[in-house]
Amino acid sequence: MARPAVILVGADKGGVGKTTVSRTLLDYFASRKITTRAFDTECPKGTLKRFHPAITDVVDVTSVPDQMKIFDTVESSGAQVTLIDIRAGLMTPTLQALRNIGFIDMTKRGDLAFAVFHILGPSIASLDEIAETSKFLLDARYFLVKNFINNTTFFDWDEGTYNSYFNKIPHALEVVVPKLSEMACEKVELAAVPFATFIADKTASGQPAGYSFVLRGYVRHWLSGVFADYDRVRLTDVLESPDSAKSPRSNAKVAELSPQRASS
Amino acid sequence: MTASAIDGCDVPAAPSPEPGRSVPAPLYVVCSPNRQVGKTMLARLLAEHYMADARPVAAFDLSDEAPGLADYLTRHVTIPSIQDTRGQVRFFDGLIETANIPKIIDLSHREFANFFTIVDKIGLFEEAQRRAIEPLILFLIDPSPVAAKAYGLLRRRFAGISLLPVRNLTVAKGLPYCASFPHASRLVVSLEIAMLGPAARALVEREKFSFLNLAKQASPYSDMSARTRAELDAWFRRARFQFREIELSLIREQILSALHSDLRLT
Repeated sequence: MARPAVILVGADKGGVGKTTVSRTLLDYFASRKITTRAFDTECPKGTLKRFHPAITDVVDVTSVPDQMKIFDTVESSGAQVTLIDIRAGLMTPTLQALRNIGFIDMTKRGDLAFAVFHILGPSIASLDEIAETSKFLLDARYFLVKNFINNTTFFDWDEGTYNSYFNKIPHALEVVVPKLSEMACEKVELAAVPFATFIADKTASGQPAGYSFVLRGYVRHWLSGVFADYDRVRLTDVLESPDSAKSPRSNAKVAELSPQRASS
Repeated sequence: MTASAIDGCDVPAAPSPEPGRSVPAPLYVVCSPNRQVGKTMLARLLAEHYMADARPVAAFDLSDEAPGLADYLTRHVTIPSIQDTRGQVRFFDGLIETANIPKIIDLSHREFANFFTIVDKIGLFEEAQRRAIEPLILFLIDPSPVAAKAYGLLRRRFAGISLLPVRNLTVAKGLPYCASFPHASRLVVSLEIAMLGPAARALVEREKFSFLNLAKQASPYSDMSARTRAELDAWFRRARFQFREIELSLIREQILSALHSDLRLT
């Protein structure tokens, strides 16, 4: 049976692609006919809202009224997924706040589903963030995202170091966002539309846009790679109640994956 | 089609479609993973075939060693670059922008893998078909295992796209098609480039040589014997006959598909 889900997308470091991953998640759920609403914590300007204005609110996640706006309405909003794009530096404070308001306890009871997409940067400091974050997430689905969209390399992680961190978190799953042509990435940014809208050659208002066919092709190819990885980790299972969910843990342990798994 | 059936006959007029039906314009990709198999020669023949009828044609030289298509048809050929995304946007977006002009790509063996990887990623052939452009991969066959493997890969990767083996008798005489190069097209045509004698071959390989000049002028090359001229005339005519067969096959396919959709509607 489906239950409402809250998905946090964040990292303590900036510039690692949190909003990009949030956008792919919103496109992914839309493609599976799963209703979503999103909160953009880049207050007051917002970044995610530029791409998904109809379903996104800009909030200050550190303020109590905005926390009420998000978490008091998870079940009543009608959206199956509530996605929160956490701005740099607020990941740990947000998790602390969720623990303090009893939200994490609610997820333990299975009333709500809770997942965290932790976007990793290329430095070793990102690995330290994992230990900090994971202590809040014993019962949450925890996805560690390697974002190669801008050709990030993770070469300063050797396999031993990588595994020593990830072996401590047996329930974490690795997700890989492959590289996308810089020009294609830039054009979607300029167009300020969801990836799926860009591929369909539409403007934000639904008019024919005349985007480059080549760039649309690259974005389509890239997004299908991202979706394939979300399918691999059985992302939609997040919505299933604990009784009916089939655990993906047995077939996709992070510790079994190589740190050098590169982009396509 | 045997040579004897063609020799001595005039090339039939360019086929015209049934009124009201638009025939997909071909996008020829002349290719092989190997060099020295006759890619540029075939691309030249195709380009001059359209030019001989004063029909518009767009030709692109993606060969990276001289002499390439642009060296022979300097004023008629564009040299694109697909090394970076900007060049790819310019080239591939341009290819599908105008639907009604036949296009010819002379693809270097060095660009072979990169070109088809990009084409696969961006879905060029599918988009071309949506825009009434018919991609035709003309693959110059040869006895090397590399050619057979590449042909097999293209066949699997681009199922539904016409992949036509082209036998250049200079490099692939006696090579059986069926084993390594099975016909993979709805078009019932086969292409063969006949061998030329040494004198005719030497003449054709000159950068200033043009089949159009040969057709239009009584004595375009002072050192050409009457026998060489007759040989080249017949050779060009034979090639053009086969190109006409491709065009006719495209029309036939268009009519058949229109008939099928009409039948489905009634």
